[in-house]
Amino acid sequence: MPSRFTYQPVREYHVVVLGAAQFVHNEWIESYDPTIEDSYRTQVTVDGRQVVLEILDTAGTDQFVAMRDLFLKSGQGFLLVFSIASRSSFDELATLREEILRIKDDDTVPIVMVGNKADLEDQRAVDRARAFGVSRSWNAPYYESSARTRTNVDEVFIDLCRQLCRREDKLEEQARDELGQKMSDEAAKKRRRRRRRKEKCVIL
Amino acid sequence: MAMLNSQPARSSLQVAPLAIQKTRSNGSSVADSSDPYSQSQITPPATPNGSQEDLYTQAQEHVQMEIEMANEPPVFHNFLRAFYPFQPENIVNDSTVTLPLNEGDVVLVHSIHTNGWADGTLLVNGARGWLPTNYCEAYDPDEMRSLLKALLNFWDMMRATCGNDSEMFGNQEFMKGIIAGVRYLLERTHCLTRESPLVQQYDGLRRNRKSLLSELSCLVKTARRLHDAQRMGNVEEVNEVVDEMILRAFKIVTKGVRFLDVLEEERRPLVPTIAAITAAEDNQVPPTPPAESSNFDAGYGPAADAGSRAEDDGETAERAQYAASDVARSLTPAENRLSSVCTHITNARRLSQVGPLQIHRPSSTLSHRLSIAGPSPLAHSQNLVSEKLNACHDIFLSHLGSFIGRLHLQSQSRPSLARAVKQSATSGGQLLVVVDVVCTHNAAVIDVLEQSRAAMYDRIQELVHTARDILANATLDMEEDVIVPQDNGRLLGAATGCVKATGECVAKTKWVIERIGDFEFEFDNGSLGVNFDLSALTLVREEKDSKYCPSESASIAGSTVSETPTASTAISVTSSAPVPSVVLSIDKPLPDVPQVTSPITEQPVSHPLPSNSRPQSLPMRDRASSVVQTASYNRADLPPLPRISTASLPMDTYSPLEPSSTNGSDFRSFRSESMTASSSGSGSTYLSRHSESSILSQTSTRATTPDSTQAPRNQPSFSDLSTTETTSQAEEVDDVESRLIEKTFAHELVFNKEGQVTGGSLPALVERLTTHESTPDAMFVSTFYLTFRLFCTPTALTQALVERFDYVGESSTIAAPVRLRTYNVFKGWLESHWREETDREALDLIKEFAQVKLAAILPSAAKRLLDLAEKVSVADGALVPRFVSSMGKSGATGTHYIPAETPVPAPAMTRSQTNALTAWKAGGSCPSILDFDPLEIARQLTIKQMSLFCSILPEELLGSKWTKLAGVGAPNVKAMSAFTTGLSNLVADTILQYDEVKKRALVIKHWIKIASQCSSLHNYDALMAITCALTDTSIKRLKMTWDTVSVKRKEMLKSLQSTVDFNQNYKALRARLHDRVPPCLPFLGMFLTDLTFVDVGNPATKTSDTGLVVINFDKHTRTAKSIGELQRFQIPYRLTEVADLQEWLSSQIDRVREKDKAGANTQASHYRKSLLLEPREVQQLRTPVEPPTPAVTGSGMFAWMRSNSGTTTATQSLSAPL
Repeated sequence: MPSRFTYQPVREYHVVVLGAAQFVHNEWIESYDPTIEDSYRTQVTVDGRQVVLEILDTAGTDQFVAMRDLFLKSGQGFLLVFSIASRSSFDELATLREEILRIKDDDTVPIVMVGNKADLEDQRAVDRARAFGVSRSWNAPYYESSARTRTNVDEVFIDLCRQLCRREDKLEEQARDELGQKMSDEAAKKRRRRRRRKEKCVIL
Repeated sequence: MAMLNSQPARSSLQVAPLAIQKTRSNGSSVADSSDPYSQSQITPPATPNGSQEDLYTQAQEHVQMEIEMANEPPVFHNFLRAFYPFQPENIVNDSTVTLPLNEGDVVLVHSIHTNGWADGTLLVNGARGWLPTNYCEAYDPDEMRSLLKALLNFWDMMRATCGNDSEMFGNQEFMKGIIAGVRYLLERTHCLTRESPLVQQYDGLRRNRKSLLSELSCLVKTARRLHDAQRMGNVEEVNEVVDEMILRAFKIVTKGVRFLDVLEEERRPLVPTIAAITAAEDNQVPPTPPAESSNFDAGYGPAADAGSRAEDDGETAERAQYAASDVARSLTPAENRLSSVCTHITNARRLSQVGPLQIHRPSSTLSHRLSIAGPSPLAHSQNLVSEKLNACHDIFLSHLGSFIGRLHLQSQSRPSLARAVKQSATSGGQLLVVVDVVCTHNAAVIDVLEQSRAAMYDRIQELVHTARDILANATLDMEEDVIVPQDNGRLLGAATGCVKATGECVAKTKWVIERIGDFEFEFDNGSLGVNFDLSALTLVREEKDSKYCPSESASIAGSTVSETPTASTAISVTSSAPVPSVVLSIDKPLPDVPQVTSPITEQPVSHPLPSNSRPQSLPMRDRASSVVQTASYNRADLPPLPRISTASLPMDTYSPLEPSSTNGSDFRSFRSESMTASSSGSGSTYLSRHSESSILSQTSTRATTPDSTQAPRNQPSFSDLSTTETTSQAEEVDDVESRLIEKTFAHELVFNKEGQVTGGSLPALVERLTTHESTPDAMFVSTFYLTFRLFCTPTALTQALVERFDYVGESSTIAAPVRLRTYNVFKGWLESHWREETDREALDLIKEFAQVKLAAILPSAAKRLLDLAEKVSVADGALVPRFVSSMGKSGATGTHYIPAETPVPAPAMTRSQTNALTAWKAGGSCPSILDFDPLEIARQLTIKQMSLFCSILPEELLGSKWTKLAGVGAPNVKAMSAFTTGLSNLVADTILQYDEVKKRALVIKHWIKIASQCSSLHNYDALMAITCALTDTSIKRLKMTWDTVSVKRKEMLKSLQSTVDFNQNYKALRARLHDRVPPCLPFLGMFLTDLTFVDVGNPATKTSDTGLVVINFDKHTRTAKSIGELQRFQIPYRLTEVADLQEWLSSQIDRVREKDKAGANTQASHYRKSLLLEPREVQQLRTPVEPPTPAVTGSGMFAWMRSNSGTTTATQSLSAPL
């Protein structure tokens, strides 16, 4: 639990954007330059906690199928993005999700499902109810967003962030419990000190 | 360019060269603004070094203004305009410069400190320093926007570049913005041509327009000089000229502002006019000007307030000085209310400039306008002493102003300093002569003037001495011809002192003239000027008088035309020649009795369109000056001033003589008026009295200065600054005029700070493409050719080009080069950039253009174009092949990277390997990857991939084409990525095909070696493919296999992986590619990602500063840049192809691909195979706590180097020790 620690390190997560991607997370930058750091790093505040997200959007490299494994492996949280105006983009998500679960070998990996291009309501090809149904069956929250009008973009990232944080809190607790069992108090302290040092390094 | 560098860049936030104390206002009594950005926090602006007293009082009075301003959102405005004068106590001290502000001064803001002080440059004189933002309002009128923006660009460019940057200065591109800005202003105001009705009708406009243009032509001329100086490589001169150009650009804007002000004033009353006209026609009695008093409320307050405060402080003289200097510097006719305190002349001047037309009574307005539109018979009075005084003062101030401006720029060379001081002193001497003349004319006034004249003399003397000392020292001590900054301070002080003293003196003189009546005086051209000891200033004082006289008279002649607001003269509007034809005796003041009750005087007006002009001028005229001020001051956003209780102050501090009681009382009434005005600024109590007294006071003005004499006096002071140059520049002005009249779309272009086009309408972009001034920027041209289909159709482009060809015909000077360039654009398109499938639609149009329009002017070019047009439709591919060098900077030299003589390395093939391949081809057994040398495999892979990479066409990379329709539009991109994927699959397949652990480990080791060789070859695409495969879950999970691989190999793989790490957007790879010299094969996917983001992340259009929606060319430039970077690497390796090995490799990749086609996806089948080989239970037992997700456990050997890359999360570090 974060509350148990007086000192909270800035957490950093790797988020992978998949699907009918091009879900540019900060389109408000007037001239989008992919080579600047802002294009792949973003900072959000979740439940009063600063979190840095490094976002991997593989847009444009769908054809490099062999790389997908690598991309997925690098992610801790995933955005499955489809265009509400494209039924096929929606259908592709299932495959992507399976791949994520397979590669992460984990059914609880944080995922958020995003119906992008919500500004194209008149071209909608994917029923909201249907999308919502699928997302529930996957146990992933569903958002409809528009990168263009910047609707729900932040919300998507914050939701994913929250999932990641909770998950990490849980793991920490678990780990601590185990530590308590396995090690003497002194050793635990030592370890904690070491960990703190490490965390500091992260910040620096 | 130390001097430029010493100036902080405009945009930088740490500009503040000055120590600032953040002070909160404790004097603001009004604190009802909870807005955090409220100006009341900012004000009163603490003067940097403790001169708060001065501001303190002022600030208190302006609390209410601040409240109004507090409502504005905290937007950074590049330009501010003072709505209230500001006179700091200490203008200069050691480290800080605080600028005095005159009303209407426009300021270029560099930064705004949180305490409300802004670091800015006064456009009027180029002085830079701190100024209080609460005295200013944002200045950004529509009409000026383009020019202001151009000035910003200009400033940035001039500041940012060093004089040796010939690329920038060589082509004079930087001038275009300013010219286009001026053009835009004139166009928006319908004053583009001299013949435009507005210009014809309103002389004030015409003059201001002319003055603006002449200034522009000066700049153009200076720019040419810069070009020359640059060619000569004379750095110092370049710097000097650059400074001058900046000042000139400032001046242009200043004049533009002024022009707009005049126009606004002309325009404003026109709206309520029509109704009023009809009313007036119904009953011959002119109605009282509507809302006049409220106008006073709104507008007159601050000025009079200032006046009264001035008296309150007992600082009248000082105020007066500023008022007077304002005469010279002022931008708007009505901006400086202070002047009214001291000089009626100023009032009269204001009146005349605008004409008595501000009144909300159109008919009279019109008649007045008509009357002043032509040359007045009264105009011939350039010898009037008041005129002379103004002229001299203006010249003097302009010299001093530019001198001070240069001091602020900190770039004085000794000669230029000497020159400037000499000019100043000379003109000061001339001014003193005029003052002397006044003194001698009426002995009674000597007493009054003596003191201030002496003060002025002393000041000038001081300036000269200071300069002399500095120059002398400089000669002794210093090698370089540069004046050190400390000396600048001294000079600045001296010069400021001059301004002050002169202002004072002139104000008094004017006041005296007012009393004694104006008179004519023949100035002797030969011996003008009080001489100062300038001998130490080594340069010969040249032609001091010639400078003074001829141009002077010319300027007067030019400007008097419009001055007379008198109604009673018949004037032909059509004759605009500024030749005075009638000489009136003007030294007899004709007292003009105020006739408030019977205001109608019929005015004979010989205007061609007099239908709606009902002469009703008199009362208006009587009130004219006040109304003028009102009108010009009639800003809705002007904060009301708090009432102050200084209405009964001793008045007329320097009026020892009162020629007549009438005058005296009038004068008093004037005084009281100004005070009343101030008090009524915020309340209605004094309204009636106010208007009354104001009328009275204006009448008094009239009484002392009869109409006839007014004409010459009315010469606008500011224009004098330039009219001295006007005569000699007559042709230049014409030249600029013709340039302006050229149709252009330059204002529809948007630039960034580097001067690159980032947006523009199609015509503007086409114009840029066919610019006559220089060879077009290569990057721009190639970007245009490459991407134009994304923002317009080929037909639209053709039409735009043809239109360009047509309209440029109107401007004879540039028509020829532009037309040739237009042809060249067509030619380049057809030769190298033609794409038959999309461009076919435009072909007929192009042919038609060639046959008709082009043939008429450039027959041979037309023939060539027709030829090309015939060829493109049958040709396959570009007629003239595009070279790699056609794009990107570095591409041009690409071919030189590998010297041809470099020996091609011999293939690393043994006889047995060759034989094995031959056998395989003959149908024998298939050799394994292990049979070949990793080096040779890497080489052959590289050759194969590079040939695919080189075949990628730029068109394929546009508009995310490779992601759409299964990549049909981008076959080569698709082939390339397919090969890379195929290679990855091959790697996995070759490993997984062996059941024995050791065999698998051997293959892994072999691939690591191949990857290493690829890395040496800088083949990052293959490196990516192989490392991807080796770290694929299917392979990486083969724990037993990896245990067999040596640590050394694993480490090698690790480091190889790190070079193609995609984290942080391929940071590592980008760094490697950045200065990588070809041959090199980058990872294509990285470019594809970049291009996708540029395509998706940048909108197609953007809105320019002028509100126009234009093509977002920046997007295309970025696209082209990225493609150019890719093309930089499209250079083949010099390696020997081993055909058999190539064949074998291809067949292996195909074999894996075939499998793919047959069954489900390759990855999944690999995974299944992997599970078969090494079932997962083993692994799970080993890591019971964490799921086997390497990225999280961090214990895997290829855990993505996360722990190395400093991105370790808390989880990882915690779980790592387990």
